[in-house]
Formats: sequence, C-alpha cells, structure tokens
Amino acid sequence: MTVRIVLGAVIMLAGLALAGRRLLWLGSLVRSGAPAPGRVNGAPSRVWAELAEVLGQRKLLKRWRSGLPHALVFWGFIILTFTIVEALGDTFISKTFAIPVIGHAAALGLIEDLFTVIVLAGVIVFSVTRLADSPARRGRRSRFYGSHTRAAWITLAMIAAVMVTLLAYRAAQVNTGDFPYGSAAFASHALAQLLQPAGTGVNAALEAFFLLANVAVIMGFLVFVTYSKHLHIFMAPLNVAFSRRPRALGALGELPATAGAAGAGHIEELSWKQLLDTLTCTECGRCQSACPAWNSGQPLSPKLLIMDLRDHLMSPATAGRASAGRATQGSAGGKVLVPGVISPEVVWSCTTCGACVEQCPVDIEHVDTIVTLRRRLVEEGQIEPAVQQVLQADAQQGNTFGKSGRMRARWTRDLGFPVKDARKEPVRYLWFVGDFASFDERLQAMSRQLAVILDDANVDFGLLFEDEHDDGNDVRRVGEEGLFQMLVEHNMASFAKASFAEIFTTDPHAFNTLRNEYPSYGLDKPVVHYSQLLERLLADGSIPVEPLGLRVTYHDPCYLARHNRLTDPPRRVLRSLGCEVAEMPRHGLNTFCCGAGGGRIWMTDSPGSSSSQPAERPSENRIREAVAVGVSYFVVACPKDFVMYTDAVKTTGNSERIQVVDLIQLVDRARGPVPALEAV
Amino acid sequence: MTSMASDVLVLAERAGDQIQDVTYELLAKASELAHAWGGKAEVALFGPPELAAQLPAADSVICVDHPALAGYLPDAYQQALLHVLRERSPRLLLLPNTTMGLDQGAALSVLWDAPLAASVTGLTAAGGVAVATCQVLGGKVLAEVELAGERAICTVVSGSFDPSAGQAGGPAEVVTIPPPAELDAPRMSVRQMFEPEAGDVDITSADLLVSVGRGIGSQDNLELVAELADALGAPLSASRPVTDSGWLPKTRQVGKSGLKVKPRAYLAFGISGAPEHLEGMRGAELIIACNTDPHAPLFDIAHVGTTEDLFDLVPALTERLAP
Amino acid sequence: MRIVVPLKAVPDLVEEIEFTPDGTGIDREYLAFVLNEWDDQALEEALLVKEVSGGEVIVAGLADDPGIDQLLYTALAKGADGAVKISGGAQDTHARSALLAAYLAESPADLIITGVQAPDDLDGQLPPMLAARLGFPHVCVAIAVEAAGGSARIRQEFSGGRSQQLEVTLPAVVGVQAARQPPRYAPISRIRQVTQAGGIEEVTVPAASTQPALTVRRMYTPEQTGHAQMLTGGTGPVADQIIELLRSRGLVKG
Repeated sequence: MTVRIVLGAVIMLAGLALAGRRLLWLGSLVRSGAPAPGRVNGAPSRVWAELAEVLGQRKLLKRWRSGLPHALVFWGFIILTFTIVEALGDTFISKTFAIPVIGHAAALGLIEDLFTVIVLAGVIVFSVTRLADSPARRGRRSRFYGSHTRAAWITLAMIAAVMVTLLAYRAAQVNTGDFPYGSAAFASHALAQLLQPAGTGVNAALEAFFLLANVAVIMGFLVFVTYSKHLHIFMAPLNVAFSRRPRALGALGELPATAGAAGAGHIEELSWKQLLDTLTCTECGRCQSACPAWNSGQPLSPKLLIMDLRDHLMSPATAGRASAGRATQGSAGGKVLVPGVISPEVVWSCTTCGACVEQCPVDIEHVDTIVTLRRRLVEEGQIEPAVQQVLQADAQQGNTFGKSGRMRARWTRDLGFPVKDARKEPVRYLWFVGDFASFDERLQAMSRQLAVILDDANVDFGLLFEDEHDDGNDVRRVGEEGLFQMLVEHNMASFAKASFAEIFTTDPHAFNTLRNEYPSYGLDKPVVHYSQLLERLLADGSIPVEPLGLRVTYHDPCYLARHNRLTDPPRRVLRSLGCEVAEMPRHGLNTFCCGAGGGRIWMTDSPGSSSSQPAERPSENRIREAVAVGVSYFVVACPKDFVMYTDAVKTTGNSERIQVVDLIQLVDRARGPVPALEAV
Repeated sequence: MTSMASDVLVLAERAGDQIQDVTYELLAKASELAHAWGGKAEVALFGPPELAAQLPAADSVICVDHPALAGYLPDAYQQALLHVLRERSPRLLLLPNTTMGLDQGAALSVLWDAPLAASVTGLTAAGGVAVATCQVLGGKVLAEVELAGERAICTVVSGSFDPSAGQAGGPAEVVTIPPPAELDAPRMSVRQMFEPEAGDVDITSADLLVSVGRGIGSQDNLELVAELADALGAPLSASRPVTDSGWLPKTRQVGKSGLKVKPRAYLAFGISGAPEHLEGMRGAELIIACNTDPHAPLFDIAHVGTTEDLFDLVPALTERLAP
Repeated sequence: MRIVVPLKAVPDLVEEIEFTPDGTGIDREYLAFVLNEWDDQALEEALLVKEVSGGEVIVAGLADDPGIDQLLYTALAKGADGAVKISGGAQDTHARSALLAAYLAESPADLIITGVQAPDDLDGQLPPMLAARLGFPHVCVAIAVEAAGGSARIRQEFSGGRSQQLEVTLPAVVGVQAARQPPRYAPISRIRQVTQAGGIEEVTVPAASTQPALTVRRMYTPEQTGHAQMLTGGTGPVADQIIELLRSRGLVKG
C-alpha cells in the first residue's frame, strides 16, 4: 500500500514538475510577443466558440473521415477524466476507491468502458489514415508532408498504452473485487474473464502493476505532450478563446498601435497571439491540403510556415532571449524572419484566399501572420520590381493598371445613355466599379452589359467616375499599409462628395474591404455585391427573363464565399435564370482560389518548387475540376476570376469543352429574344 | 564681313578600326544639306588618318590623331571636337544619338554656344534654314524645330536617313589638324573594355528572327516561343525588358542599346514597339507583329500584323511546321 | 564626399498629350507629373555609392517643376540625406543647367549624378551641359559608379552589349542610364512620415539668362504614315497566312 503511494507520488510529482516547468517556459515564450489588440472583447462569442469548436469539434467535423474519429477520441478523453480521478483515488486513497455519489452508477461504468473501446478504435483508424496518406509514399500530396510523423506514432502508441493499462487494471479489479462497477462495464468484465484463471493473487498483482503503469503512462504522456505537437490539447482551447471572432477572415486583424516599423522582422515583433498560434499547431495538414499555392507546386505550405516559426521560437538562441524578458531585447540579434526563417518565395506565394484559416481546427490565423511578414518586407523595399511598379503607379494615378486615372470611366462612353454622376446628383446606388471592370478591355464590355441591364430595369445608379480610386484590398494584403490608407482616405473623400444610399460593386475584393475595413474609416452605408443586387431585381420582376435551361457550375469567389460567407445569392440568380447548378467538389466555403489574390496577379509567375512536378497554376487545377463535373459553362462572379479562368481554359486546352461566363452575361442572355451575349 | 558658314560637319563613330554604319547615314544627310547651302560635307575623324579611306563620300575628312583618341574617351573627344569646330566653323554639326553623341552634343552646345536639336528623325534645308523633326516623350510627340542661327547641332536617331549617298564617291580630301594641348592632360582614362559574351548566337546575321517582348509574361512562357523558333530554325531575340529581366542573354537584345538587326523576316510576339526597340529592327524586310493591343506602336511600322493572342498563335504556328 | 542628384519632373506618359492653342507646345495644365525615370535610376546609383563609400546624397529640384515637393520627399524617404529646392523654373534644359550650375557654384559637389536624359529633352541632355558650365569632366550612359578618394570609376555602356570602365578625376558629372539594381521602393508610410517632418531646404539663385535656343514651329502627334496589314479570321487562318508569307520568301522549308 505504502509502496503504491510512494511510487505513485514520485511518478506524479516528477511528471507534474517536468510538465509544469515546460508549460511555464512555453508561457514565457508567448509573453515575449508584442501586444495583440482586440483579443478579450466580445466574451459571449468567445464562450460560444469554446463550446462549438472545442467541445463541439465543429471545424474538425468539416472533414468527417478524420474529424469523426477525432471527435470521438476527444470526447473519450473528456469522459475518461473520470477514470483518471479513479486511478488517483486508487493510488492514494484506497484500492476500492469510487467517485462519491456516482462512482457505482452502471451508466458511468458503461460509458467509461465504451469510450475506452472507442478511443482504441480511433487509434486504429488514425493509424490506418497515416499509413494510407503516408508522406514517404505520396510526397507533397500527403497532408502530413513535413509533419513530425515519428512524434505522431509515439502519440498514438501512448494513447493506446493509456487505454490498455486502464482496461487491464480494471479487469484485474473485477477479479479482485475492487472494481466499483457492475457488468454494464462490458469491456472490463470481458477482459476480466480472460484473466480470471490466473487466480486472485495474480490478479491483485496485476491490479497494482497496471494501476501504477496507467498513472506512469499518463504522466509520461503529459510530459511528452508538453514537448511535442500534441501540446495542442492544452493550447487549442486557449487559442480558440483568444482568436478573432467570428473568424480571422474578411478584414485583416487589427494592427497594434506601434511607433516602430510596420510588420515583423524578428520573432518577438509578432504578437503574443501569433506566437501562441505557432505553439498550437497540431501539424494536421488540412491547411496545406487546401492551399492553392501548395497545390500548384509553390513553396508555400501554411502548416510548414507556422511550424518553421514555432521551431525558430523554441530554438535555444531565441528562447534564451525570450526568457530574459522583453525589455532587454532590441531587434538586433536573432535571425531576421524573412529570409532567415521563412523564404521570401513562401511569403509571396500566398493569395490570401483564407482556405487555411477556414480549415484550421484550432483557429490559427495564417493570413494575418503572412501579411504581417509582408508589411516589414514592403517597409524595407524588398518587393519584386513588377509589384513596385504597380504600387507606384497606383499611388500616382489611383489604379493598378498603369493607366491614366482619367480613363477610368471611359468604358461608359459607348453606352446609348448617360450614366449618372453621383458627385453631381443624388443616386440610390453608387456603383463602385473597381479597377479590373473599369480598365480591362474584356471586362469593360461586361460593365457596359451590366449598365444596360440596370438601365433597362430602371435602377437608379451612378458612378464616381475618375474620383473612384483603387479600393486598396489587395494593396493592403501585399503589405503596403500606407498606400492602403492613402487610397481609403481618397475614396472616403470621394464618397463624401457624392449622395447615395447604398454601394454595390462588381468586384468581390472591393466588396470585402468596403464592407469590412472601410467602416473603421467612417463608411456607414450598406455595401452589397452585384449578385445580391441582381438577385433582388430578378426576384421582384424588374428584370424579366426566360429560362436558359443550361447546366452550369458556379465558382465561388474566395472574397465573396469564404471571407464574407455569401454563397447563396449567385446560386439563386442562376436558378432564377433557369439554370441547373452542378457543384464542383470544392464549392461554397471550400472553394478553390484562382490564384490572383494577395497581389499575386501583379507578380511574375514563381517557378514550381519541385522540379519533378510541372507547376500547374491554381486556375488550371480548377478548370480541370470543372471539366470533370461535365458541364459546358463555368460561371464566375468576379472580374479577376473571369480573366484567370479564361486564360486557364486556353492553356489547359479546354476551349472546346467549357466556356467561362459571368453572371452578367447569363442574365443578359436570359433577358431577351435577341442574343445579347457580347463577344469578349 | 564673312558670309554665313555653309559647311556641315559629321563626327565619325568608330569602334576599333571600323567606322560605324550610322556615320554614313549622317554623311548622306550632310552632303544633301551642305550642297544645298553651297558648302562642304566634312567628317571629323579621331584616330589614325588611314581610316579616312573608309569615308570616300565626304568632301573632306578632318583627322585628329593622339594617343588619348585611341579608344573613346569622352573628355578627349570633347576637346578634340571643340578644337575642330573652332578651326572649321561649320554651320551644322551632326552627331548620332549613340553614347558618343549623348556625351558630346549637349556639352558642345554650351561650349560652342550652339542650339541643339535632340532625337532628330528628319532634317531639311528649307531655304537657308535647317528644320529638324525631333522625337519627344518617347515618340508620342514630334516637334518641328527651326535652327536659324549661325550654327547648330543635331543628335540624330540611327536609322533615320538613307546611307547610300554617304557611301559612294570620293576620294575625300584629308585634312590633318594637330591635336589640342588639352589632350596631353586628360581628366579620365580607360581602365578596362568589356565585350559581350562570346559563344552565343549572332542575331545580326540571322535571316529570320523570332522575337519576344514583355507580352510573354514570364520566363516560363519562353519555352512556348522557343519551340517555334526551333521549328523555324531561327534564333530567339528579345526587347530590352526581357533581357533586363535576365530571361535571355544581352546578346539577344534588339534595340538602341542592344543590337541592330536587318533580317529578311522579323516575327515579333508581345512587343509593343517602343522607339528604342524600333531603332534596332525597323530595317527588317518583312516585319510580322503579334500583339493583343491594336494600338501598339509596332503596328505602325510592321508590314503585317495580328491581334491574336500569342499564346494561341505561337502553338498554332509550331503545329503547322511539324515535319 | 558630397553627391548631388538633380531631379526633374516630367509628364506621366500614360496620359494623353494635348497641345497649346498655338500648337508649339504641350499643354501642361492637366498633365500628371512623375519623376524622370532616368533620374530615379541616378538616385538609386547615388545611394548605392553612398552605401559603399560613405558620403552624403543631396537631391535637388527646381521650384517650378510640378509636384517637386513630393519627388524630393520620396527621395528623402529612400535615403537621401538632404533635399534642396532651387528657386525658379526653366522651360528648356539649357536654362535648367544654368540654374543648377549657379547652385553648384555656391554649394560645390564632388560628384553630380543625374539621369542621362529626360523624355522631354528637346534641346539636349542635362549632364553634359552641367559639366560644360562647371568645367568638369563628364561621362554619360553610365551603368555603374564607384567612388574612392578623389576619383570615380564609371562603367559606360555602348550598343551591342559592349562597355568600358573609365577612371575619372573628381569633381565630375555622371549621366546614368541604369543603376546596378532596380530603384528601391519607398513605402508610402515612410514618404508620409518624411513629408510631415519637412526638411526641404529652399535656396535662391540668380535667374538664368539664356536665350531661347530653339524655335519650335509646331508640336504634333505623329500620324501613322503606314500601318500593318492586319490579318484576321481566327488563330488557324492567321497562322496559315503567316506560314505562307514565310514560305513564299523561302524562309520555311517545304
């Protein structure tokens, strides 16, 4: 008895001490980060997030094949806390210990046994998953590529060991009479029957042995957890609690008020939340699998980015400086994050589509961190010349096309009617056209089509003409915060000159920033996407149409669907036009990016990272997905998508199989007996 | 009272022992103007006087020789040229818009106190007055300029004038002028010369060139056009943005600061036709331009054009050339 | 070592050009102006020289150049040590060179680095004129500059990929064609910071008294004297026609 207590105490204290010291050290690392504004407001939504995402495993269940087993194992561990209490009671109090009040309830015994079995089954499922998706065999296509697979196998082994020792000691307890539950605890009783022939004496020894073994394995696991990626079991609830609500999409994260240089060049210049992100990563690889850059052979994997930052944070040199306290650090000393820890190609490959953020089960905010890194690179002028030229021209002329700002509304010239000038007369809708729909020749034709449709429907709309400047969404995501502010200030001044009730825009990127970021600069008018406007007009009969009877697929723009959760309006428009929508596998919130966002459309192509795999652009990857669905029309609702996919159809040799059309073109086609589909 | 000068002086452009082509263009124009004014077409030649034999069409070749003039030293040329101008007092000095011309023209404009017309593409002698057509703002604007004074300078865009009248004739009178004393104390010296990388294709001797410009988009897309070039058995050439980005070596650059080519056919893909590029290839016999922008300046001098997308057209051409 | 970099504001070439009513000049009123791209290269090269050899880089502009303050502040944001705005303006390069020479006579520089040309140089380029007025040696079409002690090593580019390196005694004037690396980027936030801090020194020099050197009869946009015969009909037919053109000239076998 005393041996058991002493041994138990030694194991417990050693385990708690090691784990505790490690956790304190990790805490000091997190605290070495810069301040992070806006992390404790909105308590109710944070509590709800804990319930839904942690307890409810909501994000994990998005991919149910691995999500369901994980949820079951997770809930299993929660239930099995009771068994840990029982083990400690058996060690330190008496071997017949039972939890007060409920400790003999048949239901509890059943649930404990049930989840023990479920967890063991889960371990088998996880093992099969890891073998089937092995990075050794599948290379970059495996979501585990780059993850620490050995640590993962150890984790699985230890979980199995906890379960096995637990069951074994419970079975022995059945045979020694110390077990608090009846036969409802089916697994314990079943195993007990196998052990019974060994006799009571042996079973008593087994009971003592496996009890201590269980405690030892649990303590060992605890220590192992604090030294491995399995730390996420502690970090995830913390990280979810402090994450951006409702999600880290749409607007970029709030910037700390800092007098120093923008962005982060050294690890301690990242915020404590960004550092917490790196410690929370479970290396599951869902972000990596969803990333358009990774899927087109580029060097960016959101998972590897976070892991590299973590490794740097925990490296001896960095950690030493971190625990010496923030006050003693300057940004001298310590590696420069880019290119010392993360290569520039990785940082610039990102399209800011947010697929990683959408997938991450533990609410890591990859996009915000990448933009933080970019801000410092821009500050130092480390951006490629092509992007520099775009930004300089944008600062000079207010558009990213290098054209004269006065040409912005030239596309309205060939219309048969005058377009209202919102600066001169009040209008109901201000149409914020955006750079692409104003300056690209193919898209100008569609802008004219939309103008005609709206005019025919007697919609009261107007433009700002050359007083509209680039909305700045992608400029901000490239990291040029100063230029973004300049553009916003200019556009806000233009809005002040005009009189309107609502803004609609043809560009989801403009929609995103106008709706989510401009309000903090004073914009207080509602902002809608043109698909929402078309939906309204079709619903109330302002645009009479005949059904087209086409079978189409619809590509959700990242900035409409994922960043702003708008997936229905364009589909309702298509249904109003009598079109059948056949979905691609990656649709709705899981839409796959065209590759143009985050300033990538201004950058020269980056070569694919692995020479054995020819680089396939994300847009080409997507067109192949659409062709496999077996439709002839690929419907878009974003000007950049139109440009990217029209090119991709050509370069993949699918010009005979599929055609890219915008919602506008379909509406126009459905409007009248005269085919109005203007050649683009 | 002396009557107004009526001679026209050309500064010869020399690389090693070779007088450069542009000198003959200027000499042809000089002859036209000088004879209209009743004067002489003279060429200032700095270097060994034997080279004067390469300039038979000149009325006179004014030779100045000195060790400092063995290569091209801006300072030495400036001193020598000023000296010659003072000795010969021409009405008009013609320079090519090469590095030499950019060095000398504006400086002599101040030192010799003569107005200068830059980037000249046309020059006539209307009455007694020289009237120059100048390219301004990257060729977007032309200016017609009068040079009515006693003397003037023009820096001329290569390829503007027909060289034939500057090549035939002779023999020229050779006048040797002793070098000015300043050449003994130059304020600069040549440390090293750099020739372009040897061993690459000489695009100036190709019959057919397949040329790419910024419209190609990225280095990865070059492969597409390289296949076409292979199928045609022609070398790839490029405009400056492509070579500046390092996608092709400088030896493939066509243009003012690159090479001048005169192939029998020049296929241009994604080249807009900036004046500097045109200077390098406008002499081609057949220019075929492919550019999605219908307003691309290249279409103004191309013989045949199309707004087809090069990413469609190039593979289509390659396909048709398959054996 | 004191390096002065004269900067010029030139019309932004993306704009459509309109002419004055009498047709002898460009209507500047509605034009947007940008930094002469060769001066941008010159500034970059000057900053590189400073980074390697030390010294200070002072940018200089003429007060009447449209938007000159913005250009000078941008240069300061890129790392120039000082900015000078010289009173007056000049319509042609001769007059500009006179004003700059007057400034440099009072505030001498060891090295004057500026763009080899500007797109609106009708009457000639700045560097040689400056050098002639100051009595300094000059080198144009430079693609690299190194300075050490009392001399500079300048790489001068010729056509066809040839170049030479010259050693030049200082003080000297350099006309830059291209810097060794693309001009660095000045983030807007830094430009705004610098603008708020102020720091442009204003100087007055005697007005330039050069006669108008050229008489401009007229300025006009070039008429298209010829135009390519445009091929149509789609990719296939166009490709066929091109192959036929080449074949008929014996440039394609078969």
